[in-house]
Amino acid sequence: MEELIQKLKVQIIEQLNLEDMEPDDIDETDPLFGNGLGLDSIDALELIVLLEKEYGIKIENPKDGQKIFYSIKSMAEFIESHQK
Amino acid sequence: MKAYINGIGAVSPQNTLSQEHFLDDVVAVEERFLQVLKPDYKSFIDPKVLRRMSKIVRMSIVAAKTALDEAGIAKPDAILTGTGMGCQADTEKFLNAVLDNNETLLNPTAFIQSTHNTMGAQIALMQNNHNYNLTYVNRGFSFESALLDGLMLIKEGEVKNLLLGGIDEITDESWLISTKNDMYKTEPLNNLQLLNDTQTGGLSGEGANFFVLAGQKTSNSYACISGLDTFYKPANEQVVLEKILDFLKKQELELKDIDLVILGYNGNPISDNIYMHLENELFAENATAYFKHLSGEYDTAVSFATWLAAKIIKNGVVPSNVQKRKYTGTAPKKVLIYNHLRNLYHSPILLEQV
Repeated sequence: MEELIQKLKVQIIEQLNLEDMEPDDIDETDPLFGNGLGLDSIDALELIVLLEKEYGIKIENPKDGQKIFYSIKSMAEFIESHQK
Repeated sequence: MKAYINGIGAVSPQNTLSQEHFLDDVVAVEERFLQVLKPDYKSFIDPKVLRRMSKIVRMSIVAAKTALDEAGIAKPDAILTGTGMGCQADTEKFLNAVLDNNETLLNPTAFIQSTHNTMGAQIALMQNNHNYNLTYVNRGFSFESALLDGLMLIKEGEVKNLLLGGIDEITDESWLISTKNDMYKTEPLNNLQLLNDTQTGGLSGEGANFFVLAGQKTSNSYACISGLDTFYKPANEQVVLEKILDFLKKQELELKDIDLVILGYNGNPISDNIYMHLENELFAENATAYFKHLSGEYDTAVSFATWLAAKIIKNGVVPSNVQKRKYTGTAPKKVLIYNHLRNLYHSPILLEQV
């Protein structure tokens, strides 16, 4: 799980072009949206694409997004439980 | 039709952003094409917004903000942008993703930001500006079309002031495609040796040049844009010559009234013949200058010439590194720009002292 969390941090920084940010700057339990990393709805779309492209996981129910993308940790847990 | 230039901002391959210096230390590089000098973007744009912007959007915002700050205007009555090729980097990113991912899994950001009006839209968004906002995409007439709209808006009293910009960016891929039809040089060259280079094609470049235009002059006005014309695909050099003479006649000017002619030499021996013909036949008695060794060639490069003309008039000096036929006067009052892109898009623009 720790390895996956680190990989996700690197991928998110690259995909969302979070300039000047290092993986260690992101706490895995911090919220990605709102007060945490401050991501917005366009970033949410980028994360959906990232999940499908890098991990082959498609989010079937958009309502699940809020829970899945709450933090890096929740994303990693979702990936781990859905990877074949 | 006339409009006063009350603020300017230019991001170019030279140190043009500084309001204190005026081409006293030009940048020479040995490259295939000229790229803009990167400003400290973070001092102009919120990092949270900045991360999503490609180079062309960033440089547009910096140039626009510089021009507006200088004119002391927070929210102009209109925003007009001209760009020949628009957001090439984001378009390439999006199209490459379409190919790489077999038309699936497309990232939204590059797609959203790939339209030509992204620059004008982003500037408006940052100002919460809902006023008139138009982007002209007319290849070699893109800046001229935006300028014409601006001059008409001011003449008809629709606006008191407006923001006008000419913007284009170069990328490796777009440069490579353009070299296929001999538009641009393929081997690196020293930009300051542009007119001595024998390769076919011009020296490619990029830039964002913004102006605050207004119907009323201020104590800080740079110059007045008092004439603009465009003509497409003239039959021969003689037609170009006659068109320019007609233009001057409409301005009620004679050749001797023009203190300086800025010509768009881009280093392409074929298209530079037109400038050479004019310089020898029409402007034989006028001082001349050139600028594309500093900016490079792009669809809206004439906006850099407009920046240059405005600075020359306000500062009252013609920098030695742009002079072609030496200027011997004391301070130019009337400057004529004549530029063409690939012998298709031709335009004279007249600037006068305020």
